[in-house]
Amino acid sequence: MNRALGLAGVILGFGGALIGIVVLSVGLRTGRGSLLRLSRPYAAVVALGATLAVVAMERALITRDYTVRYVFDHGSSATPPLFNVATLWSALEGSILLWALILAGFTLAVAVKFRRRLEDPLVGWAMLTMFVICVFFFGLLLTASNPFRGVVPPPGYDGPGPNPLLQNHILMAFHPPMLYLGYVGFSVPFAFAVAALMTGRVGEGWLVETRRWTLFAWGFLTAGIVLGAWWSYEVLGWGGYWKWDPVENASFLPWLTGTAYLHSVMVQERRGMLRVWNLSLLCATFALTILGTFLTRSGVVESVHAFSSGEVGPILLGFFAFVVAVSVFLIGWRGDRLRSPGRIDSPISREGAFLANNVVFAAFAFVVLLGTVFPLIVEAVNGERLSVGVPYFSRMTMPIGFAILTLMAVAPVLPWRKATGELLRERLWWPAWTGVATVVFAVAVGATGPFTVLAFGMGGFAAGSALRQLVLATRRQGLRGLVGRANGGMVVHLGTIMLAVAFAASSSYIRQAEFTLERNQTARIDGHTVQYLGARTVERDNRVELIARIRVDGDRVFEPRLNKYRFNGMTIGTPSVRVGPTEDVYLAMTKSPSGGNGAVGIRVIIQPLVTWLWVGGIVMLVGTALSLFPGRRRDPLAPVSEPLPDRAADPPASDDDQVPAPVAGS
Amino acid sequence: MLVVVLGAAVLSIDTTPRTGASDERLFALSARLKCLQCVGESVGASQAPLAVQFREEIRQQMRSGRTDDEILNFFVDRYGQEVLLTPPSSGVAGLVWVIPVVAVAGAVLLLYFVFRRWRDEQGGDRASEEDTELVAEALSRRRGAGDRTDDAR
Repeated sequence: MNRALGLAGVILGFGGALIGIVVLSVGLRTGRGSLLRLSRPYAAVVALGATLAVVAMERALITRDYTVRYVFDHGSSATPPLFNVATLWSALEGSILLWALILAGFTLAVAVKFRRRLEDPLVGWAMLTMFVICVFFFGLLLTASNPFRGVVPPPGYDGPGPNPLLQNHILMAFHPPMLYLGYVGFSVPFAFAVAALMTGRVGEGWLVETRRWTLFAWGFLTAGIVLGAWWSYEVLGWGGYWKWDPVENASFLPWLTGTAYLHSVMVQERRGMLRVWNLSLLCATFALTILGTFLTRSGVVESVHAFSSGEVGPILLGFFAFVVAVSVFLIGWRGDRLRSPGRIDSPISREGAFLANNVVFAAFAFVVLLGTVFPLIVEAVNGERLSVGVPYFSRMTMPIGFAILTLMAVAPVLPWRKATGELLRERLWWPAWTGVATVVFAVAVGATGPFTVLAFGMGGFAAGSALRQLVLATRRQGLRGLVGRANGGMVVHLGTIMLAVAFAASSSYIRQAEFTLERNQTARIDGHTVQYLGARTVERDNRVELIARIRVDGDRVFEPRLNKYRFNGMTIGTPSVRVGPTEDVYLAMTKSPSGGNGAVGIRVIIQPLVTWLWVGGIVMLVGTALSLFPGRRRDPLAPVSEPLPDRAADPPASDDDQVPAPVAGS
Repeated sequence: MLVVVLGAAVLSIDTTPRTGASDERLFALSARLKCLQCVGESVGASQAPLAVQFREEIRQQMRSGRTDDEILNFFVDRYGQEVLLTPPSSGVAGLVWVIPVVAVAGAVLLLYFVFRRWRDEQGGDRASEEDTELVAEALSRRRGAGDRTDDAR
C-alpha cells in the first residue's frame, strides 16, 4: 500500500515534469502563451507527486511497514518518534526523496510567484530548466535510488534503525532539511541564469528577479552549515566543530561561490559589468551542489558522512558534467552579448573591493575543492595514497581569512567609482581604532600568538566598519536603516566576524587532557577541577546509556554518556558541555568504568568563545532576514545616475552607498 | 597606532610546547595524524582502538625525548604517507601547495593588466557634456515635474 502510493507519487512527479518539459518546449518554440501558462498546473502536479511520495514514506516509517525496502533497511520499532520521522533523510534514497520534495516545492513557488508572467519566455525557460532538474531527480528515484523497492520481511522482523550517529542528537532532525533548502534553493537562480542566456536577455532584469531567491537559499545553506558544525560539536566527542571533512567541504563550496555571487551581483546591478562572471558563479554554485551530493552520496571520498554507496555515483557525476557542459556552452554561445559596457575607474572603489572579494572567495573555493579531490587525483595518476587534512586547510585558508577580514574592514566605507586617500582616512579612523582597542584588550586578557591577536584586531576593525555603516544608516532612516541589502549585509558581516573571532580563539587556545579517574578522584586542568562522582546505567528501547557524573569546579554536575546501540553494538558518546560566554568546558567519556565501579576515562577540553560560533550563525541569519526586506532601493531600470526616489528631503550624506556618483565624474 | 599593534604583537608569544610529554603536545601531534581505522577523523579525535594505540605510542616517544618530526616520521615509515594529514611538499603531491598560489598570483596579475588597460583607455569614451545633459533631461522626464535635475552633485 505504502509502496504503491509512494511509487505512484514518484511517477506522477516524473511524468508531470516530463510533460511539462514537452509542453513548455512547444510553447517556447511556437510562442503560444496558452501553453506556457500550463507550467503552473504541471508544477502543481509535480509538487503533488513529491508530497504523495514523502507522505507514503513517512507513513511507512511510522507504521514500520517493512515491506518497503528503505524501512526494512533503516527503520526500527525502537527508534524514538522524532528520529523515526527524520529517518527519511538518514540514508541515500530518502534524502534524494527529500531533495525531490524541496525541488518540487521551489518549482511550484516559482510558478506561483511569477504567475502573471508565465507567458514571458524568460520565465518559461526558467520553468523549463526547473522541470529538467525535476526529471533528473525523480528519474533517480525511479531507478538507481528507488526508496520504494519491495522486500518480503521474515516473520517477526525488526529493522536496525538509522545510523546511530544520526539518531544521537536532536540537531540531526533539522540540519539536513536546512542544508537541502539551501542546496536546492540555488536551482532557482540557476534556472533564471539559463533562461537569461537562452532568451538572450542577459541584462540586469533577471538578476533583480532572483535576488531574494538567492538570499533565501544562501540563508538556509548558512543555517545548515552552522547547524552541522554544532551537531559535530555536540556529538562527535573531540570538541571540534569543523574538520575540513570532504562532506563539510561539499556543503561549504556552494556557500563560497554563492557568497561571491551575492557580492559581485551588486557590481552588475549597479554598473552592468561582470556579466559573464556572475553567470559563471551561479552555474558553478549549482554545479557544486550536485558535485557535493556526488561526493557525499557515492562514497568516493571516504568520510564519516558517506554512509552509503551505490550506483548513484556515476549518474550524479554525469549530471554534474551535463550541468557544467550546458553552462559553458551557453555562456560561450552568448559571449557577444555578455560584453560589459563599462569599466572600473579605480581599484580603490566599491567595485574594486567587490572584485577583490571575488578573487578571494574564488581562491577559497578553489583551495577547498582542490584539497578535497586532490587525494583522488593523485591516486588515479600514480597510485600514491596521501591525505589532505586539517593542517593543509588551516595553513592555506589562514591568509584567505585575513584577506576577507581586511576586505570587510575596508570595503563597506568605499564609495563607488573612486575613493581618495583623504576620504579613506576619515572614514576608517574609528573602525581602525576599534581594531587597535580590540588588540589591546585581547592582549590585556591574556591572548597570545601574533596571528591570533592579529585576527582579533582585524575582526575588531571589520566590526567597527560594519557598525559605523549601521549607525549612520539608522541615524538617517531610523529602524529602516537596519533593513535592506546594504544594511542587512552589515549585520551578516557582524555575524561572520563573530564566527571568525570565535574560530580563531577556540582553535588557538584549546586546552585538553585525558584523565583516568577513580570514583571521587579529582583532576585539574587549566584552572578547572573535574571530579568523578560515579556512573549509572539507563536502559532505553534502542540503546543502553552509561552515564558518568562529573562535578566541574566543585559546582554543577555534568553527565557525559556513552550510548551503546542495541542493534549493532555501536557505541556513540554524548559529551556534556558547560557552556559559558567566555569558555566552554567539554567533557567526553572515553572509557566506561569497568564493572560500573572502576575508573572512568574522561577527556576534558577547554575552548574559549565557542558559544559565539552559534551566536554568530544566528546573527548571520538575522542579517539575511533583514536583507530580504526591501530596503530603499533603486528602480532597477533607472540609470546609474538616477538619485534615489524619496531622498529629496535628505541632505546627501557623504558616504551613503545609495547616493550615486555622477555619470561624468564631474 | 602601529606602535600599539607592534607592542601587542611582541607581548603575545606562542606557547605551544614542543618538547616534553604533555597532553597538550600529545593532542597537537595526534591531530596531524590520520586515523587509518576510521573515516575522516584524526588520531586525536577518534576513540577507535588503533587511534588509542597511536596515542599511547606518541606518549611513549614523547617520554623518550623524541622531537615532533621524529615522532611523525616514525608513523610515516610504518604506515606510509597516507597517515600524515599534511600532504608532502615535494613530488606530484607538492602541486596541492603550489597550484592555489599560482592561480591567485595569476588572477591578481590579470586584474592588474585589466586595470592598466582601463586606465590607459580612459578619456576615450567619457561622457561628454552633451551626454550628461541628455541623461539629466531623460531623468527629469521620468520624474515628471523636473525636480532636482541638478542632483548630480
